[in-house]
Amino acid sequence: MIRGLRHTGVLWIVLLAGVMLALPLVVTSRFAIDIFIRILLFAFIGVAWNLMGGYAKQLSLGHAAYFGLGAYTSTILQIRFGISPWIGMFAGGVVAMLASLPIGALCFRLRGPYFAIATIATAQVLMLLFLKFRDFAWGAEGTTIPNLGNAPLMMQFDAKAAYYYIALGLLAAGLAITYRIERSWVGYYLVAIGEDEDAAEAIGVNALRIKRDIYLVSAFLTALAGTFYVQYIYFIDPATAFSFNISVEAALVSIVGGIGTLWGPVIGTVLLEATSALLQSWLGSSLGGVQLTVYSLILIAVILWRPTGLLGVFTETYGRIVHAGPARASEAAIDG
Amino acid sequence: MAEALVVRHLSKRFGGLRAVQDLSFSVAENETVALIGPNGAGKTTSFNLITGFHRPDSGSVSAFGREIVGLRPYDICGHGLTRTFQVARPFGGMTVLANVMTGAFLRDKKLDVARAKAREAIEFVGLSAKEHAPARDLTTIDQRRLEMARALATEPRLLLLDEVMAGLNPAEIDQAVALVGKLSQRGLTIIIVEHVMRAIMAVARHIVVLDHGQKIAEGSPKEVVANEEVVRAYLGSGYVHVATPGEGGC
Repeated sequence: MIRGLRHTGVLWIVLLAGVMLALPLVVTSRFAIDIFIRILLFAFIGVAWNLMGGYAKQLSLGHAAYFGLGAYTSTILQIRFGISPWIGMFAGGVVAMLASLPIGALCFRLRGPYFAIATIATAQVLMLLFLKFRDFAWGAEGTTIPNLGNAPLMMQFDAKAAYYYIALGLLAAGLAITYRIERSWVGYYLVAIGEDEDAAEAIGVNALRIKRDIYLVSAFLTALAGTFYVQYIYFIDPATAFSFNISVEAALVSIVGGIGTLWGPVIGTVLLEATSALLQSWLGSSLGGVQLTVYSLILIAVILWRPTGLLGVFTETYGRIVHAGPARASEAAIDG
Repeated sequence: MAEALVVRHLSKRFGGLRAVQDLSFSVAENETVALIGPNGAGKTTSFNLITGFHRPDSGSVSAFGREIVGLRPYDICGHGLTRTFQVARPFGGMTVLANVMTGAFLRDKKLDVARAKAREAIEFVGLSAKEHAPARDLTTIDQRRLEMARALATEPRLLLLDEVMAGLNPAEIDQAVALVGKLSQRGLTIIIVEHVMRAIMAVARHIVVLDHGQKIAEGSPKEVVANEEVVRAYLGSGYVHVATPGEGGC
């Protein structure tokens, strides 16, 4: 899978990139574009989460903390100081990185479920703080982003396709970063930590440092998504920015797609977001709540039958068709 | 000969239990030392204390002339002390090669260098045929081999092997004994915790015997086997009978 990338892999990626770039030219329905944007955005958040939660199996359920910090930083900079969200986006990333240091220092002492619970708390604490920040962060009522019409320098566009391309760019960058990390010593160290932290330490892996560093990257990327989301929906309040749903979604898309794999979060998002959006539009008006039930059933099915994620199913099937034989033992296994 | 490891007055208690009490011993470079004793004697705790997984309450450990108490396990590994675990702990989702490469990255972060070094270590332990197998699919002895290869890839000067022969059948024990011998020939200093006396007699030049966290005897294999207290606490009188038929017994 890795060494084969040179030929067929590059071809596939060029093909995929072509389709993705052409998509908004072909599909003009605003509803469809909106779904695409959400898929790209949540796939990107999933990719950011997956770096730490997937490869190193540090099951964070608090990534909304960084999403919210990114969203608030760029919005405050824009409304209070007139600074473009393009700059605010990276400022938000830096704020998220700084926040991840103390949060990581506290939470990484804990392992397994205790770590997950501690991370939930961090996002909740930030939400409560921003509810209180009435003077500079608009408190509970939040604020709308002033609409400047078509202002590309302020990340505002008339055409929905522009947002599509930004989200696509973010996702491509996230995947490229993951690809680089996965194929370096860092990737091996992350997986080793996820498998058995003590055994990793015994062969010279500084687990705390590696976890801290990957948390920095993950927090930074998640914050970029926060800024983008606010610019896209023109509204921010603590309940949206630090929503527990975002933390859960980030983890779920990766788990459903296949944690610790490059494409897992993308596949997971395509399935979950597309289903939820389509179900909502078909059934939402007549049978309220049904879409949630179906969504949950899909989740249960995946976790029961494919605990390693859907990517495994695809690679196995692909392997069977292409090589006319059983695929290599384990998709999750990384190989030299 | 220079001392590879000097342990002085090492103590550790867990609540009311004195796991290790005032333990002192030293290991010369390129020597193979065995740590033996009944279950709960403090052998694995000693390993944990030496390799930084537990912090001793008192005492000192110096490795190649440097004090290592208080260092974290990865740092101690960086100083050339690598351990294996009593229950093999491979990274199950990774292939054999990736497991060993993870060890090799300690000395060189380049993929191709690490891969070459890992292949060498895998070949050394005789696991080359299973290079691409996921570690979780290996048999017990192959998992032990993998652990040794992974430890070797960190280029240790001192290897601490915790019961690498437990659960192996007699033929496999012979293979493991041969492997430990090969490691020693390579110039490695080895401390081995083991219950299989046949293996210990074959590999160790020096034996330290623990009981209830204390050292009760040390010396050459011959001396230790003849020591009455060791026989009483650990080997049992039957052992003498087996080792030297016609004599002893009760």
